[in-house]
Amino acid sequence: MDASIKIYRLLSGIIIATVSWLLLPYISPVLIMLVLAFIFTSIFLPAVDLLERRIRNRSLSVFIIVGTCIISIIWFVGSFMSNLGLQIKIFSDKLQQEEFSNSLISLWEKIQIMVPDFLINLIPESSYIINSLQGKLSNIFQNILGVLSTTGNIFFILTMTLIFSVIVLVEYYSFKRSIVRFIPNKYFEIGLRLIYNVEQQVSKFLMGQLLAAFTVALLSTIGLFILNQMGANLTLIIFIGIIAGFANLIPMVGPFVGMIPAILIAIMNNLGNNTAMGHYLLGTVPSPFFILDIILMFIIVQQIDNNFVTPIVVGESTGLHPMLVMIALLIGGTLMGPLGMLFAVPAAGIIKVVIQEISFISQNSHLL
Amino acid sequence: MKPLWENYFNKNKTHNPVILSLKTIPIFEDLTSNEFEEISRLVHKRNYKKGEIIFKKNSPGEGMYIIISGSVNIIDPDSETVFASLSNNNFFGEMALLDEEPRSAQAIAVTPSDLIGFFRTDMKSLISRFPDMGNKILLNLSQVLAERLREANILLQEKSN
Repeated sequence: MDASIKIYRLLSGIIIATVSWLLLPYISPVLIMLVLAFIFTSIFLPAVDLLERRIRNRSLSVFIIVGTCIISIIWFVGSFMSNLGLQIKIFSDKLQQEEFSNSLISLWEKIQIMVPDFLINLIPESSYIINSLQGKLSNIFQNILGVLSTTGNIFFILTMTLIFSVIVLVEYYSFKRSIVRFIPNKYFEIGLRLIYNVEQQVSKFLMGQLLAAFTVALLSTIGLFILNQMGANLTLIIFIGIIAGFANLIPMVGPFVGMIPAILIAIMNNLGNNTAMGHYLLGTVPSPFFILDIILMFIIVQQIDNNFVTPIVVGESTGLHPMLVMIALLIGGTLMGPLGMLFAVPAAGIIKVVIQEISFISQNSHLL
Repeated sequence: MKPLWENYFNKNKTHNPVILSLKTIPIFEDLTSNEFEEISRLVHKRNYKKGEIIFKKNSPGEGMYIIISGSVNIIDPDSETVFASLSNNNFFGEMALLDEEPRSAQAIAVTPSDLIGFFRTDMKSLISRFPDMGNKILLNLSQVLAERLREANILLQEKSN
């Protein structure tokens, strides 16, 4: 290649990169919407294709599948919020009662007996806990309002993403054809191969993850139901199960996040209940409010998921080294918070496939 | 003004060059008008300049090409032997629809050519979305390949005699 052409290309590349970098803050919400739309499309595509095969109408298939999902999510969020509101109201009523303060003091005394001396200073005074809880819970509804206003932006992004996803799902194959039209003849076949492999990888990974999340949700709900039979007095078990299932989509961090609602509800429901407070795990280890039982149950569910479900349904679809998964999670978390962590591993998987294909192309470049 | 029924009875008579070319290919025999419409939305129309290589020998095969206009030579680049000279409504590379084996020859556009590319990935999505149509195409494709095999056997027999 001529040296001047090389310099021209290098300069063009630098200018394009600089302009993209300067424009990034303005176009990043659109980019997020497009990435989310791509992920939603990958999730819904197999179901839409399957329904289209039966009813032979793509638009109607998209409408039915997306509509069913939206109704399910609205139902889930609506009933969860109303049940959670009820739960918080009961708990804040409880908190105002004298009896509750006494039971918290007795809990603090019990913990003091159980905990070694050097750890006692780490546990706050019971009066401090009561005061801070009463102060915080009285403001909880104001906090919820604050959260709602910040979720306004997320709601806008999700609505736009949904519109993008519906359009892409209806016109998926035409849309794909319009994109590949720009690939030069020389790279056309290899480009098609790359797109197909990325598509397959993402679709396989997402479907596997969803199936694994569903299994974790089901097993967690069953586990919580069994704990209830043992007297754990847990409410909202289906919701806790579903949250645990979705939290499981975030590798490494998710399983711990899934436990938190269950533990909080166990404490909320069992405060003042001496039997629950003096519960022993397997009759040997003290487990106030069934906390250790809940943790053990989630660990068992995780083990079933990690050793039986995920290897079968997800398999080696991403095949990423655990260290790379950690790095991807850290980058995703830093860039976009929990949402970034959720999409970090599939994004790393896509990058891996692209690198593999590029190395395949470079090895066979003499054939292009 | 044309009578209403004339438009109605003519509605299946397409002027789309892609569909017209597809209709001449034995692999797409017995497909309905709607199925041709569906395939035409899936295939890729490509333009090649004179002398441009369509695919090289030994490159991984991804699919077949149908010539809408122009002419293409199938050659062995090492010996420069021309295996076939193809023109309008001919097709080549159909074996790549079934496997990922490297291309056995090189295809080069002799004149500026318009081609339709139908690739394995397109066929896979067609089979998963419209199994009936996918089955028809696969059956036709196997008939074409069986015919080629039969011809090759006859040639071998003639050579051995």
